[in-house]
Amino acid sequence: MEDAVPEARGTPPAPAPRTASRTVRVWDLPLRLWHWLLAVLVLIAWFTPTVHDGLHRIVGYGVIGLLLFRLLWGALGSRYSRFRMLGARLRAAPGYLWNLRRGITGRYIGLNPAGALMLVVLLLALAISAITGAMSVTVTFFGVWWVEETHAWSSDAVIVLVALHIAGVVLMSILQRENLIRAMISGRKRIRNRP
Amino acid sequence: MRVVRLAVIALSVVMFTGWAAMADGFKNCTKLDKASWKPAGEAETKAREAGYEVRRSKVEGSCYEVYGVKAGKLYELFYSPEDLSLKHTIAK
Repeated sequence: MEDAVPEARGTPPAPAPRTASRTVRVWDLPLRLWHWLLAVLVLIAWFTPTVHDGLHRIVGYGVIGLLLFRLLWGALGSRYSRFRMLGARLRAAPGYLWNLRRGITGRYIGLNPAGALMLVVLLLALAISAITGAMSVTVTFFGVWWVEETHAWSSDAVIVLVALHIAGVVLMSILQRENLIRAMISGRKRIRNRP
Repeated sequence: MRVVRLAVIALSVVMFTGWAAMADGFKNCTKLDKASWKPAGEAETKAREAGYEVRRSKVEGSCYEVYGVKAGKLYELFYSPEDLSLKHTIAK
C-alpha cells in the first residue's frame, strides 16, 4: 500500500519539493476563475435586487455568460472540467448519499457523485433564475407574474443550494482530511487520502 | 495565497465604492399610516391616464410601484399612496 509515486527513470532529477510530487493538478485555471467569479456574481446578485437594479441586471447577464462558458468548458476543458463522467456520477449519487450517513466517502479526484449532483442542480437553478431575470426586463414578460415568481423562487433555491454546497465541501474536507477550498484555489489535490 | 488575499481586498473596495454610486432603488413616498392609503387601483388608473400600458402594481416601501410600458419601453412609476402624486420614474 505504501508504494511511492512512480519516479522518472534514468538520472534522478534535482530533488523536487516533496509537496509538489504528492499533489496532482485537478482543476484547471479557467475552471477555477469561473468558479470564484460565479461565486462573487451570485453574492452580489443576492444583495442587489430592487435597491441596485442596474447592478443586479449587469451581474445577471454576467451569470448567463459564465453559464454558457461552463457548457463550452464541459466539452473542451481539461479532464476534470469535462462533463463526460457526469452521467455515471449522477446515477451513483443516491447510493453515495445513502452511504454518507456512515461516513463512507470513497475517493474521487474530481467531483464525487454528491458533488456532481450539486453541480447539475445548482447550475440548473441558477440558469432558471438568470433567464427569468433577463426575461423580466423584456417588453413581453415585464411585470408578468409567473416570470417574477419563478425568478424569486429559483433565486432562493440558488442560495439554499449554495449553503448546502459549502456545507458539503466542509464536511468532505473533514471526512477526507483535505482542504477542498484550497484545492479550488490552487487547483491541486493530494494524491493519497492520508499522508 | 497572497494573490487571493489581494484580490479579495481589491474586490471589496470596488464593491463598496460602487455600492452607493449604483443605488437606483426608490421606496419613500409618504409617512402616512398604511390604513389611510388610497387604493392601489387608483395609482394604476393614473398611470393609464398618463399613457402607460399597466402590467401590474405592488407596494414598494411606502410607494405604489406601477409597472408600465410606453412606446416599447419599460418604466417603474412610483406613486404616493397619500395623494397619488408621481414621486419617481425609473426607465428600465
